[in-house]
Amino acid sequence: MVTKTVEKKRISRFEILMDAGFGAQSAGDILIKAFARTGKFVYIEPMIPAEISPPPRTRPALSGAIIRVADFDITNIGNNTDLILAAHEIVLDRRFDDGESNPQAKILLDVGDQSANKDSYEKVLKRVKDAGLTVIPFELDAESNAIIRSLGNSGKNMYYIGMLAAIYNTPHDAIITEIKRTFGKKLSEEVLNKNISLFHNGYKYAEDNIALSYEVAGTVRSTEKILIDGNTSLAMGIIDAGIKIFAGYPITPASSIMHTLAKVFPSYGGMVHQAEDEISAIGSAIGSYFGGVPSITATSGPGLSLKQEFIGFASSAEIPLIVIDAQRGGPSTGLPTKTEQSDLLAAAFGSHGDAPKVVLSVANVIDCFYAPTVARYIAEKLRIPVMLMTDFQTANSYKVIDKLPVTQLDDINKIPDFVLERFHMKRLPDTIEMVCANQADPGTPEMMRRVTGLNTDAKGVVSHSGATSLRSHQIRGEKVHHVQRALTKPEMFGKESGDLLVVGWGSTRGVIEEAIDMCKGENLSASGMHLKIVHPLPLMLKDIFTNFKKVVTVEVAYGDELAPPPLALLLRSATLADVQPALARPTGRPITPRGILSKIKEILK
Amino acid sequence: MSAPAENKLPQPVTIKDLNTDNPRWCVACGDFGILMGIKRFIVDAALRPEKTVNISGIGCSGRAPNYINTYGIHGIHGRPITLAMGLALARPDLNLFVESGDGDALSIGGNHLIHGINKNFKCVFLLFDNELYALTKSQTSPTTRKGHKTNTQPFGTYLEPLNPVRLALGIGASFVASTTDWMPDHLASTLKAAFAHPGFAFVHISQRCPHYDEANFDHKTSSWFSFLTHENGIAADKRLSDKTEVIVHDPSQITKAFEYAESPRRHYGLFYQDAKKARYDAILQNQTKSAEQKPRDKILDRFLL
Repeated sequence: MVTKTVEKKRISRFEILMDAGFGAQSAGDILIKAFARTGKFVYIEPMIPAEISPPPRTRPALSGAIIRVADFDITNIGNNTDLILAAHEIVLDRRFDDGESNPQAKILLDVGDQSANKDSYEKVLKRVKDAGLTVIPFELDAESNAIIRSLGNSGKNMYYIGMLAAIYNTPHDAIITEIKRTFGKKLSEEVLNKNISLFHNGYKYAEDNIALSYEVAGTVRSTEKILIDGNTSLAMGIIDAGIKIFAGYPITPASSIMHTLAKVFPSYGGMVHQAEDEISAIGSAIGSYFGGVPSITATSGPGLSLKQEFIGFASSAEIPLIVIDAQRGGPSTGLPTKTEQSDLLAAAFGSHGDAPKVVLSVANVIDCFYAPTVARYIAEKLRIPVMLMTDFQTANSYKVIDKLPVTQLDDINKIPDFVLERFHMKRLPDTIEMVCANQADPGTPEMMRRVTGLNTDAKGVVSHSGATSLRSHQIRGEKVHHVQRALTKPEMFGKESGDLLVVGWGSTRGVIEEAIDMCKGENLSASGMHLKIVHPLPLMLKDIFTNFKKVVTVEVAYGDELAPPPLALLLRSATLADVQPALARPTGRPITPRGILSKIKEILK
Repeated sequence: MSAPAENKLPQPVTIKDLNTDNPRWCVACGDFGILMGIKRFIVDAALRPEKTVNISGIGCSGRAPNYINTYGIHGIHGRPITLAMGLALARPDLNLFVESGDGDALSIGGNHLIHGINKNFKCVFLLFDNELYALTKSQTSPTTRKGHKTNTQPFGTYLEPLNPVRLALGIGASFVASTTDWMPDHLASTLKAAFAHPGFAFVHISQRCPHYDEANFDHKTSSWFSFLTHENGIAADKRLSDKTEVIVHDPSQITKAFEYAESPRRHYGLFYQDAKKARYDAILQNQTKSAEQKPRDKILDRFLL
């Protein structure tokens, strides 16, 4: 038995690193759910390989989760890992390549296969020690190994959960309840019990042998809380928004929206249509909306490229359209299971021949729930495409939040104010001029009309005259101007003036907020700004920017001093301010508060 | 299955009601014949114009919806089936006609044709087959006959043409018929049978393009083709039935259907019909209809901690 002293922490971050196919993801999910149910706040970032199950003990096989747990609400995955549990030296070595290691971190390294891989272990252990980190080796006992063999080489994740639960002083019951919730229906009682035994063995091993002991206090919940991830929240938001048809084609990381809806949508009067390709999916979404039935499609970068011609068609034919883009690393197939924000310009200016559209983004799981409602409001009011931008990071991150009030939208004019306010927007004018005056839905007698991608006059008749073409452009342009005029001041962190303003959009909201918070203690005159509607941009931006000596962006997208990254490019164009990228890092890894803080210090030095 | 009663008018519309502005096709284009056939059918079947939607892609065929006073979508190149699919799911109460061409359906939109046929959603699909690209000014299409000179294959089209009827049969179409733009009686009977079909009715239409291929489709003679007829099929054209071969073909016989499709001789009529093939649109609609409906206000309850 070791002697331990419980270290009380307000916030802690740990990682579990394993080979794909051995349950690292479910281990992470079980732990955060148990933490959440015991009154803690959590944030999880899954590390998912781009392949299903690469060979074990190879670098591409790394599958894992980074978990942040706190006694207060947290908005991002943060930095400074306290503890890493690695299944072997290869996954640890691979994770070190990310260059994020914290010298104070403790590493629990399973050395069960060290004897067969001596040289490799020696090399990696040297790398870790050179970086100043502490390694605590451990091995599974013979009984646990026998159970794992009897389960066909699975269940090691349960042992690891046990160890982590012991270290984080989480009651047995909380974890066992989650194991049963996760596997109770899928596994036989015998197999379930073996898994639970492995959990107990891991727990006991860590209790008896590992000196580490952390305690993050749980708070008693005064309000009803839910635990939900970004894509599930979007799926529920789609239902809440009164959308009835989802048309999609499988693509990471958007697919799980379709998976969730496929199970539940029929119970809310909806249908999930899995189309033969991305083009067909958006075509069917447009076909449905032409029929007056709200619809939506979701995709990721490569699919966004395929959908572009139809996006322009919807803009021209004045058919409402909502396209979700769950961004991943690009260009091309890029990094399918890593996060990035590089689709912004493709979303804002994609398709050909000037097809105006509106681009919304989400910062977190709460925005995910309300974004479909806002997107529907804008798309139907203006009859133009609305791009709803999320990313791998937001799509896959779970968060504990207050149970959200639903909108149950049917009539878009009854959209609640608080939803528009969340996206920093006022109501649009009651009447909006259309290129074609008649916008009746099929079924309306005496109002028959044809829509076309060709230019038309006000009666909807195909016209090739210069005057009608100019008129159409002006009316479509004015639709976007209506949104621009309706935008209110975006969210700001810190003072309204100062030396430096750090601007971001989408999933970087949390890290900007936390970084600016850290500045307060450091006597740095830096503020933050976060945009949800990114195209068009609010009119008062220029005035806000003049209150700061310097304006910079943080983006998970590439840029340098000669080529501004997407958001910087948009901001420069809208304000004529010399907006520079502070962080433009498409590494597939989220930007960290510490990363922003050190950039702020560098700039203000 | 005919149109739902509420989609029919007590007083039938007239051709005049269905006219819009004048079509902008070339003089003597076969599309005029098809356009008149569609209007004639809407009048004869007393379909309500406001419950009828014509959906097209790009090309000369793509202009058709603009010239029929129903609802319509003149979409983008090759994708009318995708628009129709969404509308079929969202609005099963509407009568859907898809107008596509040999380039639109068999080249750029080939993938959607495969899956439209396979999903078997309810629509009348009309393939205007003039055997070349015309609106883009004479290029080789998948059905251009070998040796025919076009702007992209000026020494004569290189390959044997793709066979649309055999393709549709091969994919498993539940309704495959072929007709022409210059036989109004046969076109009308074909549209009637196609509209009555409970699923994706694939209608191939030989269409003349005198502007770019005057030699194709000798509409003044009929000895170069045969009619396929049957009591469950489509009657031979009244005007031409005694001028060429008329074959009795049972449209439930798939092997014979392939034989006629593969023959070097042209056949017009109903090749194949299977009224029992499962319909994707109906399956999805029934799933939603039969699911226990839940209130939206409890949507987040299952995520409660």
